[in-house]
Amino acid sequence: MPKTYEEINDKIQKGKAVVVTAEEIINIVKEKGVKNAAKEVDVVTTGTFGPMCSSGALINTGHTKPKMNYKQAWMNGVPAYCGIAAVDLFIGATAIPEDDPANKVFPGKFKYGGAHVIEDLVAGKDVLLEATSYGTDCYPRREISTLINIKDLNNATLLNPRNAYQNYNVAVNAHSKRSIYTYMGILRPKMSNMNYCSAGQLSPLLNDPNFRTIGIGTRIFLAGGTGYVIFPGTQHDTTGDRTEKGIPKGGSGTISVMGNLKNMHTKYLRAASFTGYGVSLSVGIGVPIPILDEEIALATSIRDEDILAPVWDYSEDYPEFKGKPLGYLSYAELRSGKVQFKGREIETASLSSLPAAREIAQTLKKWIMQGNFLLSRPAELLPAAGSGVASVKLKERPLDNPPSKKRSKSKRPN
Amino acid sequence: MTRKSVILHFGPDLTDKPIISGMLRKFDISVNILQASITPDEAGTMFVWLEGDPAEIRNTLGYLEEVGVRLVFPKKNLIWDEKMCTHCGACVGQCLPKALSISNDSGCVSLDHERCLACELCIPACPFGALQSVAEHLG
Repeated sequence: MPKTYEEINDKIQKGKAVVVTAEEIINIVKEKGVKNAAKEVDVVTTGTFGPMCSSGALINTGHTKPKMNYKQAWMNGVPAYCGIAAVDLFIGATAIPEDDPANKVFPGKFKYGGAHVIEDLVAGKDVLLEATSYGTDCYPRREISTLINIKDLNNATLLNPRNAYQNYNVAVNAHSKRSIYTYMGILRPKMSNMNYCSAGQLSPLLNDPNFRTIGIGTRIFLAGGTGYVIFPGTQHDTTGDRTEKGIPKGGSGTISVMGNLKNMHTKYLRAASFTGYGVSLSVGIGVPIPILDEEIALATSIRDEDILAPVWDYSEDYPEFKGKPLGYLSYAELRSGKVQFKGREIETASLSSLPAAREIAQTLKKWIMQGNFLLSRPAELLPAAGSGVASVKLKERPLDNPPSKKRSKSKRPN
Repeated sequence: MTRKSVILHFGPDLTDKPIISGMLRKFDISVNILQASITPDEAGTMFVWLEGDPAEIRNTLGYLEEVGVRLVFPKKNLIWDEKMCTHCGACVGQCLPKALSISNDSGCVSLDHERCLACELCIPACPFGALQSVAEHLG
């Protein structure tokens, strides 16, 4: 007998809902069978905490007096995008100061960037805002330099275009003779180490592989506060290879998420400096999955051994967008700390934190059991396998004589 | 008699309080201050050796934590600041003597100081600045 969102929310409000994590459901299904599990369990909570570059904060500082239309802005020296309305700013997680040496002295350290600004804001630290403008009749002010604090900001919202990849690559360095510095960490030569980045059986989108419940409007745990799935994430793809059980064998689905930054916690929003690569933001996300029927219950009982991740060479194949995976490994193998791969033993490590993922799933479980967190029915589900939604390559169509070259020769007309 | 090296981090709210003299009045230990940088109203650090009876040192450290001083314990030349660590694992693949490892059960990172060679290869691998040399940590 299928359940409805209303029935589950009614139970949550009465404090009677049965909520378990995506790890706990595994044994429940094994011991009691999927039919009983679907009947008994109302919600399965998931969790993940890992670097998610496609993140940022949308800020409205509140109007200045006299009024100003920011046209260039920096927060603690990190450029913020202000090609939107007067005092709206977007600070991207990976932004770095214009005078950061980046990789000029290789490998660069990337000690401070947009993610650090966001973490400092959430920590309640003062941040220096500097902005300039050209001045208009309605917005006459041309300069500002002031300390700001999250508690005084008009609006502060985390707005992440692409988070929580359904599955992800395993990275090795197969060809370069030196260590390579990637967003998947430092990879030593001759495949000496192997890094992966997924919460595996706890990962939100792997527990609902066909998007039966996750979609636009799904209420989620976002970095210690409440947030929402607002759209399929950029590069959302439904066309990749799948296992016999229908589990994607690579990146696949993604979500775009949003939530009030003022309610978030630095424990689940941590700036990351990847040596030689740049800045990223580790984001904690937990998605609740309503157990509406047996199929959904069965999907949440997915185990690390059922999930395969593609091993990619990050020294040539990945950067050149060529070749194919060197092979596939399950998260059970990857979690063990070492794997047998291509005839040798290789050490494995994760960039996604398992203890943090577990803590997020447990926290979300607690919120729901306390009746503080109701489940929302999505306005539209994420595009699933069979929808044809695919992530495509850029088709480059360069001009023989691009306008940027013409402009440099003569002064641009006003 | 044991000797313990410890880095004390004072928050801005603690830099104007007589914490070290309070510690010396309460406990029978001697303190050797190797480096200190304390300015009123700003966060400060102090690198000290504490010498005394092991129980007395334990009590001293308990007192310091109680009053709000954050303690960091350097071993060799490597500091793993557990409060900064997210337990990812980015460091583990760089550690050839396997001093840094991840537990299969808890998924938590741990550092075995006995195995550590202080090669510092792990330091640039940590995205969160949780691994530092002592010099880097003292800024």
